[in-house]
Amino acid sequence: MQHFPILSIVTLFLGAFLTVIFGSKNETVRKFIALIASSISLILVLMLIKPIMIEGNIIQYWLGNWRPIHDWAIGIGLEVDALGLFFGIIAVLTIFLSVVFSFKYTKKDSETDKYYVLFLMLSGAVLGLVFTGDLFNMFVMIEIMTFAAVGLTAFRNYQEGALEAAFKYLVLGSIGSSMVLAGTITIYSQVHTLNMAQISALLFNNLTPAALFAFALLLAGFSLKAFVVPFHPAAPDAYMSAPSSVSMAFSGMVNKAGVYAIIRLVYVLFHAMDFKSIQILLIIIGTITMFIGVTMALAQNDFKRLLAFHSISQIGYVITAVGVSTALGLTAGLYHALNHTLFKGLLFLTAGAIFYATGTTDLNKLGGLAKKMPQTAAIFLIGAFSISGLPPFNGFVSKWLVYQATFEANMAPVTIVALLVSVMTLASFIKVAQSIFFGQMPKEFENVKEVPLSMRIPMWIMAILCVITGILPNVVTKYLVSPAVSAALNMGKYIDLMMGSGYAEKILGKPIEIPNIDFTLAGYWNPVAWLVLFGLLLIAITLVAVAGGFNTVSLPTEVDDPKYDVFFSGEASEHSHVKGNDLFWGLKHDLRHYFGFMHDAHSGIINDYALWAIFTTTIFIVYIFLLVP
Amino acid sequence: MMKGKNRQVKDVIVKTAADFFTPIALVLGFYIILHGHLSPGGGFQGGVLVASAVVLIYLGYGYNEVSKKFNMEIIKKNEALGAILFTVFGLAGIIYGSVFFTNVFANIGNVGDLISSGTIMFMNNSVGYKVLTGVGFLILLMIGLLAPDNEK
Amino acid sequence: MILINYIACIILIVLGFYVILTKKNILKIIIGMGLIDYGINLLIISIGFNPGGTAPIFTFSELKPESFFVDPVPQALTLTSIVIGACVTAMALSLVIKIKEKYGTLDADKVRRLNG
Repeated sequence: MQHFPILSIVTLFLGAFLTVIFGSKNETVRKFIALIASSISLILVLMLIKPIMIEGNIIQYWLGNWRPIHDWAIGIGLEVDALGLFFGIIAVLTIFLSVVFSFKYTKKDSETDKYYVLFLMLSGAVLGLVFTGDLFNMFVMIEIMTFAAVGLTAFRNYQEGALEAAFKYLVLGSIGSSMVLAGTITIYSQVHTLNMAQISALLFNNLTPAALFAFALLLAGFSLKAFVVPFHPAAPDAYMSAPSSVSMAFSGMVNKAGVYAIIRLVYVLFHAMDFKSIQILLIIIGTITMFIGVTMALAQNDFKRLLAFHSISQIGYVITAVGVSTALGLTAGLYHALNHTLFKGLLFLTAGAIFYATGTTDLNKLGGLAKKMPQTAAIFLIGAFSISGLPPFNGFVSKWLVYQATFEANMAPVTIVALLVSVMTLASFIKVAQSIFFGQMPKEFENVKEVPLSMRIPMWIMAILCVITGILPNVVTKYLVSPAVSAALNMGKYIDLMMGSGYAEKILGKPIEIPNIDFTLAGYWNPVAWLVLFGLLLIAITLVAVAGGFNTVSLPTEVDDPKYDVFFSGEASEHSHVKGNDLFWGLKHDLRHYFGFMHDAHSGIINDYALWAIFTTTIFIVYIFLLVP
Repeated sequence: MMKGKNRQVKDVIVKTAADFFTPIALVLGFYIILHGHLSPGGGFQGGVLVASAVVLIYLGYGYNEVSKKFNMEIIKKNEALGAILFTVFGLAGIIYGSVFFTNVFANIGNVGDLISSGTIMFMNNSVGYKVLTGVGFLILLMIGLLAPDNEK
Repeated sequence: MILINYIACIILIVLGFYVILTKKNILKIIIGMGLIDYGINLLIISIGFNPGGTAPIFTFSELKPESFFVDPVPQALTLTSIVIGACVTAMALSLVIKIKEKYGTLDADKVRRLNG
């Protein structure tokens, strides 16, 4: 049992190395290795649910059996509590489904052995990051993660902009890693240990200026890894140019790793959530992130780039909710992180299916594919309803929790922004649905077929999970989210299990409090009723449609009669599909100054992006020095 | 400086120096890898030293000779082999009944002997193996990119 | 003097950021990343330094309570950090070679097909 975390990490790395040796010639062998490695890791992590999530244990594991001597941590330790396991489950789920999806998806690519090697290393690094209990180990895992992510971004280097995106990701990522390293070593100079539990104990009520400086650097570095807004511009480029299965992994686990690191940093390492100013800082950057992300998404005309900006926007929800440091806020944040992985992974897979079938993701070139790809269209609609927060899908649950948490924390303006962002998300997905699946189909897509079964299976699994987490929120909260929330709030137990019992009380000078997870859900919130209503409406519409109640006249499809032609100002139109760019032209025209400014700000020049990152880090440092006591 | 045909004929001083220094680099590198658990240095440093022999051979004999001598595909596989060996020695701790990376058979030999530190020595050697193949591969890749087209 | 180390590492890091922010040649941006790395490595080593300490290499018989040596942990961290820095540089250089092949330029102002 105690070996499971390390084995799940090692299996993925071992799979990567084995792929180099045995998989370089044979396609089947490398797929087999990737499948076996990811499923073993999935099973090992899922088997940890019972002891950690339900029974409330924490697994501590000292590599090489170097246990603490005289209350001083000298070895590298793994420590898996419910918070780490929560993100671990998200990661392994993404890894497994992404691997299955990529079997057929990378059919047209050459040298897929490198793809699987990099992908398995990325997965191993993310798992290592969420399971580790050592700050420097965290930095190393972040670096491996960045490397593998950059390599995967450049994997389809024949595509427009893939190399450029990889280069920008590498430069920004390396700035972020430098900040993490500088923060780590500044903490080391203060407390002379790298073990997170011990750092947490020693920094309690002991925030020296150097520790505050380190906190600002670490917060900036981890925010860069989570692609919070001023650090975000590498993300859309990378998500757009990477293969879709990798984009799913990026939004599903790579930026979740950043979110995990932020939660671990502010809640456990520095106890920073006791300060009102840090809460407000997180809420401000979260709100800015969700607003700018969604408005940028409205202006995009590439499916994957649009999804990437939505991904940034949803991370904004998570950060905002985490900033509201009540138990309800943290529950909302973690629930939304889980949901974001599910529906955004689903949508990226849909984008991959569209790309596989048609060879493009440009919204202006697509149209009318629902007839050719009915299952993909249905899956896309589930994903779009989920991300827009329509009941009974999962986005509704977590967004409702976010609204309630921010409102109860007397942050009504934030609630309003969150509602507004949700509406704009829905608007932008109406645009996507209209320009890809509905409307008129361009002539060149006559021969498009539905994607193969091995690509549809992961999509359906994710779609079903979206519905399950939507209609059973009480179960998900009880068995997955609440243990993680109480683990994040109960840092005394985290310290004790790593350093030996009694250590926390000795250093902190006070008994360990058991956090009180107690909140009531406000409003009319009964998912089953919503589901029944949704199903009834669906059945009613179907029945009416089948009975001919809508009075549809079945038009002959191929007619030469000119009276059926689409007619534009005196001339017959060849192609009358409303393009993705044109759907919200009124809104865009009214806000043209804002959209023009945001478009110019995302200039694509790496120096500008680096300037944003460094400038924001400076602001973090100044803010934290001024406002934290 | 040297253009056209002259490029094929290397300077005799460079060639002699390469002949002289390559064995030294190899011996010193392997020495540092083997004694990594006893003295400063270790797998990484020794591995880089060994891999630098590739640069010496390139300087002395040019890209053609180097590409004839080394098979990049095999080097790549050997690098992965080094990584796998390292992981397997780490897993030996679990098989032995303890935890990952435990030093198995730590109490054999006298302190300061070559074989005295259990699996630490083998882990160190696998790191050295991985680094010498990995950095060697990197150097081969780079001189392959830098080599002028008429030499390829 | 340990103070000189800190001043030098701050100069290196600031110089690295300056290069990344102002130089338009992407090769120079990579050099800037390298400078930041070296600055941080110097910082790590300086943090572990004890004035008058010896190298932390002992056998069991030599190690006594009054032994005074520099902190070995930062040295291990520096080694890891150097290796990672070398890998970053190698990867960035290979990307630059490919970008030069594809775009025909090293100017950051022209390598901006993805924007908006």
